[in-house]
Amino acid sequence: MRRVFVNLVLLGFIAGSAYDTITDQEHWPFSQYPMFSGTWTSPTFTWLRLFGVTADGREFPLDANRYVAPFDQSRLPKALKQMLEKRDREAQIRTALPDLYARYEQLRRDERHEGPPLAALRLYELEWTIHPDAANVDAPDRRQLIAEMRP
Amino acid sequence: MTILKKAMAAWNRFWFEPGPAAALGICRVLFFGSLLLWQLPHDFSPWGAYSSVFWMPIWLFDTFSVPLLPASAIATVQTIWKAALFLAAIGLFTRAAMVVAFVLGTYLMGLPHNFGQTQHFDTLVVFACGALAISRAADAWSVDAWLASRRHGEPIVRPDDGEYTWPIRFVWVAMAMIFCSAGISKLRHSGLDWILSDNLALLLQRQQYHVSDGEPWTNWGLWVARHPWVARSMAASSVAIETLFPLALFSRRARRILVPAGLLFLVGIRALMGPTFEQFMLCYVFWIPWRTVLSRTGARVSERRAQIDTRSAEAPAPPLPLRS
Repeated sequence: MRRVFVNLVLLGFIAGSAYDTITDQEHWPFSQYPMFSGTWTSPTFTWLRLFGVTADGREFPLDANRYVAPFDQSRLPKALKQMLEKRDREAQIRTALPDLYARYEQLRRDERHEGPPLAALRLYELEWTIHPDAANVDAPDRRQLIAEMRP
Repeated sequence: MTILKKAMAAWNRFWFEPGPAAALGICRVLFFGSLLLWQLPHDFSPWGAYSSVFWMPIWLFDTFSVPLLPASAIATVQTIWKAALFLAAIGLFTRAAMVVAFVLGTYLMGLPHNFGQTQHFDTLVVFACGALAISRAADAWSVDAWLASRRHGEPIVRPDDGEYTWPIRFVWVAMAMIFCSAGISKLRHSGLDWILSDNLALLLQRQQYHVSDGEPWTNWGLWVARHPWVARSMAASSVAIETLFPLALFSRRARRILVPAGLLFLVGIRALMGPTFEQFMLCYVFWIPWRTVLSRTGARVSERRAQIDTRSAEAPAPPLPLRS
């Protein structure tokens, strides 16, 4: 009886994995594992990024995970991008930015990062032309302000 | 009919070849122990504090209506989970601990994927936890086994059994399917362009722009990107390792090459591109040939004991103390 149970588990796992691979779908924890599967041909790319604004008006990118944890620099822009693709995009972003601001401040109070207190939080879409030495990381070709929130 | 019988025999041979309880016990200790150490500093509770606009449930959470718990409840769940990982590692109340580790771990490790992006570093860990939860991994190298021996009055001898093999082979198969699916995805979506174009060079450069879940350990990817043939060779090796990895299941020779190559590939991704595959790497403990390690260690111990016995037999008897 136990052997039958174990065999069913094994078959179920193989069938589930094969199904997602063959049909190119994702049912986490089953997946077709599509990471980096596309061909990257463009020398430019765009990315959403949060910027903090200090009381004296200085702006700096929140480009390290410690500013946005538990989010990271891959997941957060993708979540924000999905919000921006929705019909009520403005309402979504208006709700999201205060959460991210509160989290930044919480992490700062907990001394999880060394960033200054923020007077505002801004969301930009940045565009870069990829440099062979990534020398332009801090100097994107284009910056478009998407939204801003002040506490 | 004969083909079916042969297939079933091969299936049973692969999954249920008799193996030592100690091999599975050691895998359990190392897997849950290292997972606990890895997860100890990770705090899942902040996910519970985000507004509902961030909640974009994946299939598992959507289909089974698994809710986003409040931060305080997530904190409680993760405390229980980490305690279960500890108990599973030392092998105390092992069955219950492993079931709890699997169920709560699936919730906690799945939680971040509901926030805009499904990442793939932990699927193998979830599968491994599931297999161990229904296995007899506590029969050796566990407090439970030690307590049972004490109650019994003498060590309980566990003969080799297929029950100690299939969970290890399950992790092998799961890892092989993951690697192979990733290779197939590349060939399906990009074909040979993935290898022959500047794709990998551009990817390696782009990863330096703070766009990954983890920062690359080095900036050597830029050097690779400047040398197109190095980048293309790396791309070809990546696809080859991924798609051919299932050969490691059936061929010892292929295993000797592909298993370390797969590990190097993951380390390479982490070092050059950033994605954090550390949890996936923990599952490599299941590839270590523990039977061989144990028999060699056992042989060495017996040899040393024999040497000590021989020396003490050959040594002259100590002089008797003089009586005054």
